[in-house]
Amino acid sequence: MRKSFIAQNPSVLWFLAGLAIFTLGVTFMSEAAGVDMISTSFLKTLGKTLCLCLVAIAMDVVWGYCGILSLGHFAFFGIGGYAIGMWLMYARTEGIVATSLDSAALPPTPQEITDAIGSQIFGVVGSSDFPALWAFSHSLPLQLLAVVLAPGLLALVFGWLAFRSRVTGVYLSILTQAMTLALSLYFFQNDTGLRGNNGLSGLQNIPGLEARGQAVVSLWFFWASALALGMGYVLFAYVVSGKFGSVIRAIRDNEARVRFLGYHVEHYKLFIFTLTAMVAGVAGALYYPQAGIINPAEIAPIASIYLAVWVAIGGRGRLYGAVIGAALVSLMSSWFTGGSAPNINLGFYEIKWTDWWLVLLGVSFVLVTLYFPKGVGGIFDALVRKTAVERQGDYGPDKGAWRNDEGKPS
Amino acid sequence: MTTLLEVSGVSVTFDGFRAINNLSIQIAEPELRAVIGPNGAGKTTFMDIVTGKTKPDEGRVIFGEKSVSLLGMSESQIAQAGIGRKFQKPTVFEAQTVRENIAMALKNTRGPFDVLFGRRADNREERIREVSDEIGLTDVLDQPSGALSHGQKQWLEIGMLLAQDPRLLLVDEPAAGMTPAEREHTTNLLMRAAKTRAVVVVEHDMEFVRRLNCKVTVLHEGAVLAEGSLDHVTKNQDVIDVYLGR
Amino acid sequence: MLRFMLVCLCLIFVAPVAHAQSLQSLLQDNADAVANPSRSTVDSIVSALAAAPVEGSPRFLEDWRDKAIWVRLSDGIFFSAAEDGDGLVLTDLDTGAQTTVAEDDGFDQIRPNAGVRRVINAALVQFQLSDADVTRRIAALDAISRDPAADQLVPLRQSIPGEPDASILARKVQLERQLTARFGDSMQERVAAINFLSGDLSVEVRGVISQILTTRQFVGISIPEGTNVAQIMEIGDDLDEAEAYQLLVDADLAPATVTPDDIVATLTAQIEDGQVAGVDVSTLGTDAARIAAYDMLVTRGDAAPFIAPEDRASALDAHTFYLAYTEVNVDITTAAEDAEAAIAMQLNVGKTLDLTLDALSLASIYFLAAIGLAITFGVMGVINMAHGEFIMMGAYTGYVVQQIVPDYTLSIIIALPMAFGVTFAAGVAMERLVIRHLYHRPLETLLATFGIAIVLQQLAKNIFGTQARPLTSPDWLAGAWVVNDVVQISTIRIAIFALALLFLCLILYILKRTRLGLEVRAVTQNPGMAASMGINPDRINMLTFGLGSGIAGIAGVAIGLYAKVTSEMGADYIVQSFMTVVVGGVGNVWGTLAGASLIGFTQKGIEFFNPSNTLAAQTYMILFVILFIQFRPKGIVALKGRAAGD
Repeated sequence: MRKSFIAQNPSVLWFLAGLAIFTLGVTFMSEAAGVDMISTSFLKTLGKTLCLCLVAIAMDVVWGYCGILSLGHFAFFGIGGYAIGMWLMYARTEGIVATSLDSAALPPTPQEITDAIGSQIFGVVGSSDFPALWAFSHSLPLQLLAVVLAPGLLALVFGWLAFRSRVTGVYLSILTQAMTLALSLYFFQNDTGLRGNNGLSGLQNIPGLEARGQAVVSLWFFWASALALGMGYVLFAYVVSGKFGSVIRAIRDNEARVRFLGYHVEHYKLFIFTLTAMVAGVAGALYYPQAGIINPAEIAPIASIYLAVWVAIGGRGRLYGAVIGAALVSLMSSWFTGGSAPNINLGFYEIKWTDWWLVLLGVSFVLVTLYFPKGVGGIFDALVRKTAVERQGDYGPDKGAWRNDEGKPS
Repeated sequence: MTTLLEVSGVSVTFDGFRAINNLSIQIAEPELRAVIGPNGAGKTTFMDIVTGKTKPDEGRVIFGEKSVSLLGMSESQIAQAGIGRKFQKPTVFEAQTVRENIAMALKNTRGPFDVLFGRRADNREERIREVSDEIGLTDVLDQPSGALSHGQKQWLEIGMLLAQDPRLLLVDEPAAGMTPAEREHTTNLLMRAAKTRAVVVVEHDMEFVRRLNCKVTVLHEGAVLAEGSLDHVTKNQDVIDVYLGR
Repeated sequence: MLRFMLVCLCLIFVAPVAHAQSLQSLLQDNADAVANPSRSTVDSIVSALAAAPVEGSPRFLEDWRDKAIWVRLSDGIFFSAAEDGDGLVLTDLDTGAQTTVAEDDGFDQIRPNAGVRRVINAALVQFQLSDADVTRRIAALDAISRDPAADQLVPLRQSIPGEPDASILARKVQLERQLTARFGDSMQERVAAINFLSGDLSVEVRGVISQILTTRQFVGISIPEGTNVAQIMEIGDDLDEAEAYQLLVDADLAPATVTPDDIVATLTAQIEDGQVAGVDVSTLGTDAARIAAYDMLVTRGDAAPFIAPEDRASALDAHTFYLAYTEVNVDITTAAEDAEAAIAMQLNVGKTLDLTLDALSLASIYFLAAIGLAITFGVMGVINMAHGEFIMMGAYTGYVVQQIVPDYTLSIIIALPMAFGVTFAAGVAMERLVIRHLYHRPLETLLATFGIAIVLQQLAKNIFGTQARPLTSPDWLAGAWVVNDVVQISTIRIAIFALALLFLCLILYILKRTRLGLEVRAVTQNPGMAASMGINPDRINMLTFGLGSGIAGIAGVAIGLYAKVTSEMGADYIVQSFMTVVVGGVGNVWGTLAGASLIGFTQKGIEFFNPSNTLAAQTYMILFVILFIQFRPKGIVALKGRAAGD
């Protein structure tokens, strides 16, 4: 009776194959490979989109499978970006400072180097001392660890507080939104030591790889993003399949009943919340070196809501749905707002898409919610269902959860 | 026969309304017990207290040989300790197959890491088959449970209880909305289960209770009004007053 | 002294009478004294000017003081003149007519000496303080309080008896006390003035007291006799060792320490052939190596030695560090200290009061912003993410009305119901078109309304642009209610408080006393049952949603009046509004009130400890809310009941 993991989840194989073909195709068309059909900046956009897809599947697991509409996962994404950004900034500034201090009469002491880096980095916020947060910024391995641990720890603490007081449904959403707002306000402060609203910049210059040129480095990041997305997909497909997946979907549909079966619902939610936060952190750490800059506006609550929008448009409760949604919306968004979309002249009024794209997105989002609750991924479902009878997890909280249960915090 | 569950002197108040008033009940193992009473007598609240959903204002709830107090425990801890509950409304996970429903309920370690990485018990399929045979759903194991009929859902839920292998089973109105044939099946299920464990059935339907042929506890206004065989309690003047009105 | 009294008396009686005599003729009467002013003669002119208040006297006195009065030698006529190269620009004292002469040969500049100028100056103050024009008197007082000086005291005192205006009189008396406190002749006089000022909260008085209590840092072997010591400073408690030693160095009482910068400078100066004191420069990349190299320079005698720690300690031990008052009289500083303490206490009371008022007004704003949300969330279980955008719509409605109706009072009166109407309609439309279809999918309602929110926000941007639009409040709302220099609150905030109170009563009335309220409560508790009793839940939901949205519109007008109207203003309030509702407890007007108060007061309370950082206050406030939910997951006012439905 038992089937292998892949046999139970044929979509994983399809997805990995598709991702591999896409990656190879882009590689051959890239500037670094010589064909130069895809510009470096578009390559970066594609790499960033892959990172967004990764955070979207994390969001899908936490929302579509576990029923927690977290409005904080983009904050974890941002924290991952900050964690890697701190090392990038430190290491790059160290290089610059070393050159400038070489001209001094005496060779610099370690303290002098640290002070110079400090005043270089924190000069914009009128400070020169290294805040405690930057204690590990000199070390790549430690900051890489922070990419996973910082969001994970935050998610663990917040989740523990929220889940143990049995806050569910929209209450939980609002609480996560409040957390995100608090976090972004905290990052906005100069006192925090993360350069306030200036954020971290120059992240596209990878220390030690300056000689390689952006075209090559971008391609490497694109590969890394594709690899991370593939691994994330397999990880989450494994998590949501089998009995564990069964339990978390049961929690989504009727939390109280799962409790009476003897499962510590809080532990499961906490596990999922923390795991997805860590993956979000990894996605962020790959995204921001490609974007080049991160500032607190990136982790404002609205970003996390957009994340939910992508997943909803793509179709939640299916991992590939989240990927489709994130890719579709973010690529369309950069197409419309980048000025590439042709304006429509109505005679009396010209529709400029840079102004009207958000209106279009909002309206289509409302329409999707109203008429296609399964999202774009639902189309695949309709096709696949004929061949594979054993599909699972097609239901969102809409079918399994009741209004009464979600309106109350207990 | 030893005492498995002892509820003594328990009271609960909701906004001034006393739902349970100094209630004391003892359940032995094995035993089949029916709890009856008019609406608002506190039957469901009694179950809520035992399963940890509601915390009583005062009183003791003690379980097992080691006399563990259930009051400080969460719902899931109580369930793991060996108390299973079937709700009034059938609440199975409709999006999942019958097999998945039963697999989730199977007695096993419950921690997230155990579930994620743990090896499946070798006899898992056997146990699922055993339970599904018992409740007569073997043919539909791979169907989504949402597709089952009302009666089948009730059985599936009882099956999930059996899969949990609890020492105490609390069953809330198992026969509601069933055809006579289905009732028959349900009665047999419960009576078989009660041979090895304690089963408490809350029910309105006197005919069903009569068929269970067990000790009956009558609740009224949150306290025990009468206890004994069905014939005994139906002759009790207080019970007649409560049921027929004064 | 007597002369000034006389002047004053003259002023009182003469001032209102129009006088025919011109300034020039008056000066000509005293021509000699004007041209050669001395301490003995200047008073007569000042008295004469005071006795006959002619046009331009103060102006003349200023020019006279500033050596800008010239006399024409040919006829002795006085001019106000400015040098222009070799020539002069002459201004007629009476007519103000200007003439230019190429050479200043025929003219003589009048140069009063310092003593005379002081008298003129005092007279000038006197003139201004007694000017018939109220605004000039106030201006003179402002000038004095801006820059108080000893010589203003006497003229100020002189001007007090003749002051007709009660409020200016009070101000003069107050200012006289302040000046006396600082510049009074006798110790008793000053102490009395200081005691009088004690407990006064105004910025001026606080400035006067702190002026009296000005201290300077001293260091010495002992404290000289007659020093009014404010504080003896203990090393470690009040001063750290480095600071204390630096003071000794500054006072030339100890040799300077060698700082890292000194080491670098000395080493750099001594580099020869890539070596310092025989050490390769390239090895000097650590502090230890640098100190070692420096030590070698010291032994060679090429650098100042380090200060040994024990020398440093003994130098510090040998000296006393103290703060001394610049004011030598102990009684005065003691009185001032007492006054300062009294003021500090008053100040704390005032600040607490001010903070309470601030918090109250913030709570009112949160209440107004959240109450509409509380109704829709509590009654219908619907999360409306576009609530903030309804607030924005209300504010823009106010702005548009103001473009059409220029009268601010009238436009506000029109805007309030208009905003209600517009957002009510928008709310009903949204309920009918979207929310109605999502009643059993609350998480999706949240997202769908968010979609609407971004549409509304972008539409507002497209229509009104991204820059902030002003919503001007009428004059009667523009001021502030000033209790004293510490406690004050703008009228607009009081109005918002009143508005919040009004809405509290209105909503309580609607919910508790009207048929609609009864039906709303019925639908809240059991929609199915309500429907079977003949209540149409659809209609109730629609009206409730409209009502909640309409209130958001009114809140928008109120918020727009004191904040700028932008397309993003709603987003700023939405999270706070949600938290207000959640903290307060869902489905209860009193809960929302409690939540708004808690959040408003908490935020202001946190700001009190760290006033410069409102971002931090908001951050900690949100953390507080998250923790609060731990202890009261159902909010402050929780509806208890039997755990429904299993």
